[in-house]
Amino acid sequence: MSKQLPMMLLLIGLFSYAVLMGPFTSYMRDKPIEEKLGYVPSIKLLKPLSADQKELAGASLVLKVMMYFGNIVSLSHEGPVISKPPDLQGMSRLLHGAVQLDPYNMDAYYFAQGILTWDARQYKVANDLLEHGMKYRTWDWYLPYFAGFNYAYFLKDYPKAAHYYNLAGDLSGEALYKNLAGRYLQESGQTELAIAYLTGMVHTSTNGAIKQSYEIRLKAFREVRRIELAVDRFVVEQGGKPASVELLVQTRYLKPAPVDPYGGRFYLDPSGKVSTTSKFAFATKHK
Amino acid sequence: MLNIMKVTLKGIFRDRVFQGIMVLASLFLFIPSAASLSMRQVTELSITLSLSLISFILLLLAVFLGATSLWKDMERRYTFSVLSLPISRTTYLLGRFFGLALFILLTSAVLGAAACLAIKFASTIYPSERAVVWSWLALALLFATLKYILLVAVAMLLSTVSTSFFLPIFGTLCAFMASGITQQVYEYVHSPAAADAISPLAKSAVSVVYHLLPNLAGFDLKVNAIYSFAPNLAGLGITAAYFCAYTAMLLGGATLLFNRREMK
Repeated sequence: MSKQLPMMLLLIGLFSYAVLMGPFTSYMRDKPIEEKLGYVPSIKLLKPLSADQKELAGASLVLKVMMYFGNIVSLSHEGPVISKPPDLQGMSRLLHGAVQLDPYNMDAYYFAQGILTWDARQYKVANDLLEHGMKYRTWDWYLPYFAGFNYAYFLKDYPKAAHYYNLAGDLSGEALYKNLAGRYLQESGQTELAIAYLTGMVHTSTNGAIKQSYEIRLKAFREVRRIELAVDRFVVEQGGKPASVELLVQTRYLKPAPVDPYGGRFYLDPSGKVSTTSKFAFATKHK
Repeated sequence: MLNIMKVTLKGIFRDRVFQGIMVLASLFLFIPSAASLSMRQVTELSITLSLSLISFILLLLAVFLGATSLWKDMERRYTFSVLSLPISRTTYLLGRFFGLALFILLTSAVLGAAACLAIKFASTIYPSERAVVWSWLALALLFATLKYILLVAVAMLLSTVSTSFFLPIFGTLCAFMASGITQQVYEYVHSPAAADAISPLAKSAVSVVYHLLPNLAGFDLKVNAIYSFAPNLAGLGITAAYFCAYTAMLLGGATLLFNRREMK
């Protein structure tokens, strides 16, 4: 018995393992995305716990958020409706934690700029974070470039936008940002500038999920721009504003009909601005 | 002492510690692909991962080799045979320490070379906006090595007063964890913000602990290596001097205690 026991234990263990691995892998894979972001202890605790590995701890928090976000973006493939709203607050908390552990981590600022502005609409929080980063990454023109865009496009604070675009121009040596600074001061061409910004982000993105998220938004903004141009032509030729987007389609000023990649419907708000029922975000199913 | 150093090195190689390290070092192969997950700082992430892996391996070596070296000798009754030769206890202990330090230095050099290859590969595929400054990377490695050599001295000091390996291992680990935050705690309790919240007695206690425990935060040059900042050379000079002074103090204490230790 005693001679056979180790072999029996090994065989039982191997058999049980083979039986369990399938269901266990499925269980882990199908875990709700909220659980995948998981619980992370307070940064006050993480800092001493990470000892001399603060940069690694910061990078791993950013990777955790990226994996989570990648899951959400992959769900958008299944249709314009995703099952749960993403935990934007949780992502923001982890990214703030990451820059406390490593204030130089560019991935954290880059990612925060993406989710805090377009998705969470926390423009002030995003700019505070970018300004925090500028204290450390003093050579980096991306941070003032992002802050300039946020001030101009979302917060409509043109003097500040011009200030940050000038700074981005000084740091990068690119005349383009100086030109943008001038344009923001004139408060013109908001959609066009959003398209220019998003095009730049798509070109410079190396992460698949982020790139896809920007591409979808860019597609939506290009549709908005097409509607705006049709409205302008309608005004010039008909001498008045069109009543609706549908009218533009019917009168062939807008051909083909615009499609919102977020699954919404474009409309003209009372001020004549082009809006969409999706608010440039995928709809979520609430329980 | 040279003979003890040689014996120490031979013993480590005989125990196949180096082969174990090489197995762990195979993780360097995966660093470029892991770093490619980064969106904006692939090279920087490859340096972070490389330096972290080296730090982790050196920490394991410092804690386990430093804490078990003397204990193992006594367990195997090897110490008694060696000390029956015309070798003083001081020579024996210092020989052991310098042998371990040499091994850590050697490991650091080999792992550093592997890290350079991984970083070079990652930076060739995804060039960084800021060029890698290899000399700062080498400095970061050198100071990390000094840090873990100092930790070996802590482990050996604890070994001289312990009859098992528990105190040296856990004591060294605790000293390592505490050494990274003592500076922050010391600065906080002496800041105006803490003036009312912390009692003078607690402040004095913190000051005593701060001066007693090693301050290893100064040896961390990862940020300089990762983001290519020039380190403060004068500060590094002081840190190197601190290393010499603190290690001398630890070794002095360890030899004094070891000389007085009763061996049956």
